[in-house]
Amino acid sequence: MSSTIIIPLLAATVQSGTPVLYATLGEIFTEKSGVLNLGVEGIMIVGALSGFWVSQASGNPWLGFLAGGGCASLFSLLHAAVCLVFQGHQVVSGLALTILGTGLASFLGTPLIGQKAPGFSRIFIPLLQDIPLLGPILFRQDPLVYISYILPIAIWLFLYYTRWGLALRASGENPRAVDVAGISVQFYRALGIMIGGFLVGLGGSYLSLAYTHIWTNGITAGRGWIAVALVIFAFWKPGRAVLGAYLFGGVMAFQLRLQAMGTTIPSSLLLMLPYLLTIIVIALASKRSRGGEAPAWLGVNVEPEE
Amino acid sequence: MRTKSLCLLFGALILLLAAGPVSAKDLKVGFIYVTPIGDAGYSYMHDQGRQAVEAMVGVDTSYVEAVQEGPDAERVLRNMARKGFDLIFATSYGYMDSVIKVAKQFPEIIFMHFSGFKRAENVGTYFGRIYQARYLTGIAAGKMTTSNVLGYVAAYPIPEVIRGINAFTLGARSVNPEVQVRVVWTKSWYDPATEKEAAKSLIDVGADVIAQHADSPAPQEAAQESGVYSIGYNSDMSSFAPDSHLTAAIWKYQNLYRDIVKQVKNDTWKSTDIWAGLDENVVGIAPFGPMVDTETAELVTAKKEAIAAGDLQVFSGPIRDQDGELRVEKGEAMSDEELLGMTWFVENVVGTTQ
Amino acid sequence: MLQLRKRPTPLGWSAPLVFVTAVVLSLAVSALLLRLQGQPAWEGLAVFFQSGFGSTWALEDTLNKAVPLFLCSLGVAVAFKLQIWNIGAEGQFALGAVGATWAALYFSFLPWFFLLPLMLLSATIAGGIWGLIPALLKLYMRANEIITTLMLNYIGILILEFLVYGSWKDRASFGFPMTPVFESGAVIARIGRTNLHYGLLLCLAIGLAMALVLAYTRFGYELKASGENPRAGRYAHIPYKKLVILVLVISGALAGWAGFVETSATLNRLQPSVMAGYGYTAIVVAWLARLNPLGIALFSFLLAGMLVGVEGMQLELQIPAAFGKIMEGLILLTVLSGQFFRNYRFARR
Repeated sequence: MSSTIIIPLLAATVQSGTPVLYATLGEIFTEKSGVLNLGVEGIMIVGALSGFWVSQASGNPWLGFLAGGGCASLFSLLHAAVCLVFQGHQVVSGLALTILGTGLASFLGTPLIGQKAPGFSRIFIPLLQDIPLLGPILFRQDPLVYISYILPIAIWLFLYYTRWGLALRASGENPRAVDVAGISVQFYRALGIMIGGFLVGLGGSYLSLAYTHIWTNGITAGRGWIAVALVIFAFWKPGRAVLGAYLFGGVMAFQLRLQAMGTTIPSSLLLMLPYLLTIIVIALASKRSRGGEAPAWLGVNVEPEE
Repeated sequence: MRTKSLCLLFGALILLLAAGPVSAKDLKVGFIYVTPIGDAGYSYMHDQGRQAVEAMVGVDTSYVEAVQEGPDAERVLRNMARKGFDLIFATSYGYMDSVIKVAKQFPEIIFMHFSGFKRAENVGTYFGRIYQARYLTGIAAGKMTTSNVLGYVAAYPIPEVIRGINAFTLGARSVNPEVQVRVVWTKSWYDPATEKEAAKSLIDVGADVIAQHADSPAPQEAAQESGVYSIGYNSDMSSFAPDSHLTAAIWKYQNLYRDIVKQVKNDTWKSTDIWAGLDENVVGIAPFGPMVDTETAELVTAKKEAIAAGDLQVFSGPIRDQDGELRVEKGEAMSDEELLGMTWFVENVVGTTQ
Repeated sequence: MLQLRKRPTPLGWSAPLVFVTAVVLSLAVSALLLRLQGQPAWEGLAVFFQSGFGSTWALEDTLNKAVPLFLCSLGVAVAFKLQIWNIGAEGQFALGAVGATWAALYFSFLPWFFLLPLMLLSATIAGGIWGLIPALLKLYMRANEIITTLMLNYIGILILEFLVYGSWKDRASFGFPMTPVFESGAVIARIGRTNLHYGLLLCLAIGLAMALVLAYTRFGYELKASGENPRAGRYAHIPYKKLVILVLVISGALAGWAGFVETSATLNRLQPSVMAGYGYTAIVVAWLARLNPLGIALFSFLLAGMLVGVEGMQLELQIPAAFGKIMEGLILLTVLSGQFFRNYRFARR
C-alpha cells in the first residue's frame, strides 16, 4: 500500500470516528455522574434531525449544529425525569428513549427526506495543513472535527480540575458523601444527563450536517450503540475515548478500502472485524489494567429524601 | 339480560369500527413496504407509484410500512385480505412465501408480488428491467472516464444488485474495453455515512465515476466533493451533485402500477409475469448533465431506442465471467429466468459476490 | 405543600391501578400527538386496540408475536437476577436460529419427532455458546459483559448473514439470501385449526419450570442471594463463578430457543429478516415485569399486542409505522415512572 492510500485512509479514520467520538464523550459525561443512559442511539438521531431541520430553516449550519445538541439535551431530560424524579430503572428508561427517539425522528422527519440543508465543508488550516503526514490527516477536515480535538481535553479539565466536575464525579462515585456535604446529587446527575445529551446530539448533527448533508431515517445506523460500548472500552476516560472512536472508525474505513482494492474476502467477514477487535482489545485491556473501573454508583438510583 | 345487551352493543361497536366508511364501488388497493417510506429510496419510490394509483378515479389505497419480510408479512397480508382489500401489492422479494400462503386462503383477492418467481391463480409477479437503464448509464460512464476505473457502491449482494452491476459493466465495456468496475458492499440498505465513505474509498483507488445501488444520495456528494463524476439511482439526484451527476438510472413505478390497477379494474387481469422495461417507460434515465458531450449523449439515446425497440439485448453473448469462463455463447442471450438468479460477476468487475 | 413519603409497605392490590393510569396517560399523550398531526385521535386508538386485542384473529396474532419475546425475555431476566447485564439476546437469538437451521438442513431426512428435538438441542447449544463466551470473558479476562454481549450481537447477525448469503443459500431461490424451505418434519405444527403453533406450549412449559426453579430450588435461592449482594453471597459459600456461567448459558439458550421457534414455525426457512429486534425489546419486557416469569408472560403479551395493533392503525388510517415506536416509548416511560408510586406517595406536609 502506497502513501496515496494510507493518508486518505487515516483522514477517513478521523472523520468516521468523529460522530462516534462526540457520542462517546457525551455518554462518558453522563456515566461519570452515576447515570447509565442506554438511550444514546435515540438521542443521537434526535440531534441529527433537529440539526438538519434548524440548519435548513435558518440557513445557518452553526445554528443547526447547536440546535442538534440543544434538542437532544432537552430530549434526554426525559431520562432525568424518569430516573431522578421517579426512580425508574436506568436501563429500561434508556432503552425506552432509544425507541421513542428513533420513532419521533422518523415520524417528524419524513417531510425532510430528499431535501438539502446548508452544512459544513472542509477548511484547511493554514500552516498546520502542511505538516508532513499529520497535516493532511488531521488538519484538512471540517470545523466540527477540529472542535472534537479540543473537546476531550475540555471535558477532562472540567471533570478533574473544577469544583463542578468534582461534584459531578462524586455523584457517581459516592453520592452519600455528596449528600452529607449538602450538595444535591440529583442536580449534578441532571447536569450530567443534559450535557451528555447535548454532546451526543452534536454527534448526531455531525452525521446530517458534516459527514453527509442529508436526512434519512436511521441515519445513525447503530453508532449510538457503538458509543455505549466505547465508553467501557475507554474506561470512562475522555482521552481513551479518542483512541476507541478512531480505532473503530479506522477499521470501518479500512474494510471499505480493502474491498475497493479488490479483496476476495466475503464482506460479512470483513464487517465482523471492528466488533471482534473491540472484544479482543477490551478483554486484553481489562485483564491488565486495574484502573478500568466504572463509577461505583453507576446505574444505581439515589432515593429521594424523606 | 343487561349484560347480554351490553355485549351486543359492544359487539356492534366493534363491527362499526371494523367496517369503517368505505364506499362500495371503489377498488381497494393495499401495499406493503419492507422499510419506512422515509428511507428516501426503495419504499419511497414504490410509494410514489401508490400515490399515482390513489389519484385514479374509483381507487382507494392504503399501506403498511416497515414490515419485516419473515415474521410479520404473513400477518399483515392476512389482515389486509380480511379487511376487504381487492388487490394487494407486496413490494419486496422476501414476501414471496407469505404471499403464496395467504393467497391460498383468500382466492378471491388478487396479489401482486414484486421481483419474485412464484405465481398462482390469484398471484402475479411484476418487476422492472432497471438493468436496461443501468446499461445505458454504463455507456455514459465508460465514455467519460479517463482513469478507466469506475466505482460502484452497492448495498447487498442479491441478484437484483449483481445484475445491475453487470449491466452497467457491459454498457461501459461496449464503448471502453479497458474499463474496470470496482464494487464495495455496504451491507446496509440505509446508512448514508457509510455509503459516502464507500464512495470515497473507491475514489481513493482511482475511480473517477461513482455509480450506486444504495438509496441515499450520499455517494453523489462524495463524487461532487472530490471532483469526479457520478451516476445516480432511483431518481434524478443531480441536485445533490450538480457538477458530477452524468445521469441516473431511474424508476417510473407510476406507469407500472397504473397499468396493473387498470387491468384489475377492467377485469382483464390474469396471473402473469410482468417484467417491464424501457419499452413501457417503467425505467429510464435522468437528463444528462452539462458535462456530457453530445456524441456520448447521442450514442446513449440511440442505444436506448434500440433496447426499447427490442433490437438490442443487454445480456447477449459472448459474456465471460470474472474468471474468464464463457457463460453466454456468441449469438445467444440470457433468459429472464437466468437473469433473475444471476449470482456471478461479468468480466471487468473487480470484487466478490459474497 | 405536598411532600414525598415512603410507603411503609409497597402497594399491593392497587398497583394495577397505577399501571392502568400510566398507560392511559401515555395514550392521552399519543392521542394529542395524533391530533396535532391532524389525524383522528380517538378513532386511531380504537383501531389500535381492536387490531391488537379486539378479535380472535388479533389475539392469535398477538400470541404468536409474544412467543419469541417471552423466551428472550425469560432468558434475559435470569441473567439480570444475578446482576449480569446480558444485552446479547439478539445475537443469541441469531445463533439459535443458525443452530436450528443447521439441524434442519443436514438432518432433513429425520421424522419430526427426532428432528424437532434435535433442532431444539442444537439451538440450545449454539445460543448457549453465545452466552458462554461473555461469561468466560467476564470471569477470566474481567471484560465487561455489556460491551462483549453487545459486540457479539453484531457478530452473531453477521454469521447468520454469512451463511445465508453463502453456503446455505437456496439454489431454487434465484440467489436470494435464504435457505431452502424446511422439510415438514422441521416445521413446528399449528395447533388444531388455529394460527397458533406449538411453540406456545413450549413457552408455557419452560415458563412454569423457570418459575418453580426460581422459587423452590437452591439455584433459585443462590441467584437471589448473590444477585442482591454478591459479597454476602460469597460468604455463604455460593459458587459465584459457576452461577455466572450457568446463568449466561441459560440466558443464551432461551434466546436461542426463540430463534429456533421463529425460524421453524413462522418462517419455515432461515433468512436475514428473522432478526426483528426481539432481543432488545426483551430487556424492556424483563424489567417492566420486575424479572418475574408470570409478569414476563403478561408484558410480552401486552407489548406484542401493541406491535400488532400499530399495524392496524397504519392500514386503516395511514398513521406511519414510526408512531408505533413513539407509543411504545411513551408507554414504557410512564409505566416505569408509575412504578415509583408502589413505594412512595404524596402526603400533605
